[in-house]
Amino acid sequence: MQMAAPEDLERLYDEHAPALFSFLLNFTRNEADTRDLLQELFLKLAQCPGLIAEARDARAFLLRLAHNLAIDLFRRRGTDAKQCAQLAAEPGPLFAPASDPDERAFREALAAALGELPAEQRAVVHLKLWEGLTFEQIAELLDIPPNTAASRYRYGLDKLRQRLRPLYAEIK
Amino acid sequence: MKPDDLEDRIARQPWRPIPAEWREEILAAVRQARRLAQTPTVASPTPGWRLLLSTLNSQLSTFLWPSPKAWAGLAALWIVILGVNLAARDTTPAPGAKPAAPPSRELLQALAEQKRLLAELLEPPERPAPVRPRPSVPRLRSEAERRDVMA
Repeated sequence: MQMAAPEDLERLYDEHAPALFSFLLNFTRNEADTRDLLQELFLKLAQCPGLIAEARDARAFLLRLAHNLAIDLFRRRGTDAKQCAQLAAEPGPLFAPASDPDERAFREALAAALGELPAEQRAVVHLKLWEGLTFEQIAELLDIPPNTAASRYRYGLDKLRQRLRPLYAEIK
Repeated sequence: MKPDDLEDRIARQPWRPIPAEWREEILAAVRQARRLAQTPTVASPTPGWRLLLSTLNSQLSTFLWPSPKAWAGLAALWIVILGVNLAARDTTPAPGAKPAAPPSRELLQALAEQKRLLAELLEPPERPAPVRPRPSVPRLRSEAERRDVMA
């Protein structure tokens, strides 16, 4: 089996690992799982270097691979939607620390509000807001219709707005 | 869809940076896997049956994953139904059937008598010996006429 060159993997890591980390951390809400999934992803890339070589958009391809690995992990564990929701509701350090108290409060509230979303809505919201992907790109990445991606985003964002609006009005 | 202020503010929140030590750990794991893949192994290949079981397990897991409890419940129900069915199966002999016992002497005699009577009834009756017609000797016509005259 031919494996990818180490320097290629290092370059891929430096370019994409931060984005993959934030996506996986938001999706799984578990740092240990994020670490395992990231390692599994790079092992796959090392074993099948042709995968990334054939991809049109490396970032989108890696995010898709990360999402699929996370879904596989949930399946292997038999984690159902209820357990996912319970895990997601536990607040964790998702965002960078802020020195400003208002900013810190907003980030904590945002982390908690994201945890209340279903995992698939959270994935769409993340890809739209923090990766800047279009609904067509999100749909292709998550293997769902574009309309589904748009509706998941709308529902997710509405919930975030409801949750954050009072605090936002206060600190704006 | 034009993003509002709140949406824009959410999108500007910076994520926590990836732990720096992960880079070396993950890339080291990849390098180790690379070394293992390049080292010729002398281990025996996975037996075919184990590969088959592994594939079957993987396929079944994928198929059953959405509701494993429901599938397990259905399987348990079928096992219970099968058990009840086997337990309720009638194993007693039919009402007319009796255990085989040696026939008594009287019964044998009665049977023999019946057999004899049957044989008598079925045998054709003794016919009397067929009477043979005497061969007729043609007589003279004149002789018959003479007998009539004498009578």
